[in-house]
Amino acid sequence: MNPSMKRAIPTAVVALIAILIPLFLNDKTVYVQTVLSAVVVVGLSLFMGYAGQASLGQGAFVAVGALTVAVSTVSFNVPPLIALIAAPVTSAGLAYVLGLPLLRLRGHYLAFGTLAVLLLVGALMGGVPILGGGAGIVGIPSLGIGSLVVTGQLFFAYLALAVLAVTMVVSRNVISSRFGRGVRAVAGSESAAASSGVPVLRTKLAVFALAGGCAGLVGGITAFFIPYVSAESFPPSMSFTYVIMAVIGGLGTLWGGVVGAVVVSVLVQALNTISNIPGTPPIVGLILQYAAYAIILILFLLYMPRGLWPTVGDAVKRRLAKRVKRSQTDYSDQHA
Amino acid sequence: MLSITALSRSYGGVFAVRDVSLVVGQGELRGIIGPNGAGKSTLMNLISGQTQPLRGSIHFDGARLERIPTHRRARLGIAIVFQGARLFRGMTVLENVMVGATSITQSGAFAAALRLPAQRREEHHIRERAVAALARVGLSDWADRPADSLPLGQQRRVQVARALAGAPKLLLLDEPASGLRAAERRDLSDLIAQLHGEGMTIVLIEHDVAMVMKLATRIAVLDLGQVIADGTPEEVRSNQRVIDAYLGTEVSRAHS
Ligand SMILES: Nc1ncnc2c1ncn2[C@@H]1O[C@H](COP(=O)(O)OP(=O)(O)OP(=O)(O)O)[C@@H](O)[C@H]1O
Ligand SMILES: [Mg+2]
Repeated sequence: MNPSMKRAIPTAVVALIAILIPLFLNDKTVYVQTVLSAVVVVGLSLFMGYAGQASLGQGAFVAVGALTVAVSTVSFNVPPLIALIAAPVTSAGLAYVLGLPLLRLRGHYLAFGTLAVLLLVGALMGGVPILGGGAGIVGIPSLGIGSLVVTGQLFFAYLALAVLAVTMVVSRNVISSRFGRGVRAVAGSESAAASSGVPVLRTKLAVFALAGGCAGLVGGITAFFIPYVSAESFPPSMSFTYVIMAVIGGLGTLWGGVVGAVVVSVLVQALNTISNIPGTPPIVGLILQYAAYAIILILFLLYMPRGLWPTVGDAVKRRLAKRVKRSQTDYSDQHA
Repeated sequence: MLSITALSRSYGGVFAVRDVSLVVGQGELRGIIGPNGAGKSTLMNLISGQTQPLRGSIHFDGARLERIPTHRRARLGIAIVFQGARLFRGMTVLENVMVGATSITQSGAFAAALRLPAQRREEHHIRERAVAALARVGLSDWADRPADSLPLGQQRRVQVARALAGAPKLLLLDEPASGLRAAERRDLSDLIAQLHGEGMTIVLIEHDVAMVMKLATRIAVLDLGQVIADGTPEEVRSNQRVIDAYLGTEVSRAHS
């Protein structure tokens, strides 16, 4: 077996497990939401991990994608499939336009700028009638072409999985290309990148738009899945969850985004189960969740700043390297 | 090829570069020397686009450079090796050098996402150029190491390879020999002479005056942001103002 096939085995196993899981779940809502948040986080990881920027506003682009679907189908009778395609395009376009002024900011300022976008989108969703204005938008049609309509959770589970797979492949291709090296170079030294021929602002804009597009597609799918769009169903706090997922999984790695999304989703589910024990007041769940976020974020930044995926991955690699070395020394001992 | 006219740049009211005029001809190896803080790096940054001039103009191959952004100047054929290391963290030595070929290639994110044939061909071409550039600076064995794990001397050579990967017409070298050991200095000096021999136009800033005297066809001397002498190595060496301002001890040491 050649090395590239050998390396593909773990991926194939993970894919198979991911395909099998929804078959054993009665309610697949959490599964769909976890896989979709992984798509957002992989996009965010491109922007934060590879390009070295910061965004606390990814939730805004998810919401805009959902709004695109909800408003265009309900108010303008746009066919569902067109609306779904329009979702990532709208979010990516918005990210690009907002990025023009925002991406001139750096570090904390950029984080605050994206946070402002998030709050603005939330306020618009809560107040403007055509965007749902408080009551939310209901009556989003089922996804389909003409009379051929798909419904059912299993479809959404596999749609989400397929979108994640495509996102991963595209992201990997992009990162290991001329453009992707430019992205990583910008994170390392903007001046050296520019003088090597990398258009710094345009590169950041492209990655921001790409991450926004990922978020918009997720929003669009979510709108068809729930199918209801309101300020409450896309709370600003999701933005922080995405950042926490990215940090815990490991910024600057694609698989880290997936690992982070899964770990945090499982954790949130566990906390929900605790707070759903009869007799606990409803606010407990939210408090537990925020407390857990704070604690794991602090613990990770202190003890595993690179995140789960790179840290565990390196440990495994070291183990393997040691074993190979040992078998080599055994060999030379015998033949000395 | 490069023509600088009455160029000025100030920081907080103090001139770092003041009324500097300088011509660098095609294929010339131009040395720039001067004491610390004379404005040598500032002049380089003005040429490559890291900072903007207060007054004056820079012409390169018939184009006015001042309004052209840095990355487009790279596409015009200007490469710079910075005084510090300025490598790309988190990337291997080879990847760092591959970034240097950005200025002579085209393919974008979309072609990469789909792995279009033209993109893959170009990727192959970039890799070949980077491998060749690494071989030229003697770092072939280090290709897959993380760039920031290298000792300073090697990091400087990675920067030189990165610049060469873009096949520059004008190579700006800002103290490339600082922090290098004697043997490394000799190799670097040989490499610069070779590149010059191949017709590359080079601007070399160095505190190693003996090295500049040996390599340069013409030398400009900066002091307090101004050109105080400009001529052949012999002319500069015997210029009284230069000896007073900078050379004094260095030349007598080089000749003893
Ligand atoms: N970004 C900056 N902000 C403020 N002052 C600066 C900046 N860059 C350079 N200067 C000032 O401009 C003057 C010239 O600096 P420059 O780095 O060009 O000198 P140099 O000749 O390269 O010196 P060295 O030989 O030490 O590298 C110095 O007085 C320096 O303090
Ligand atoms: Mg300097």
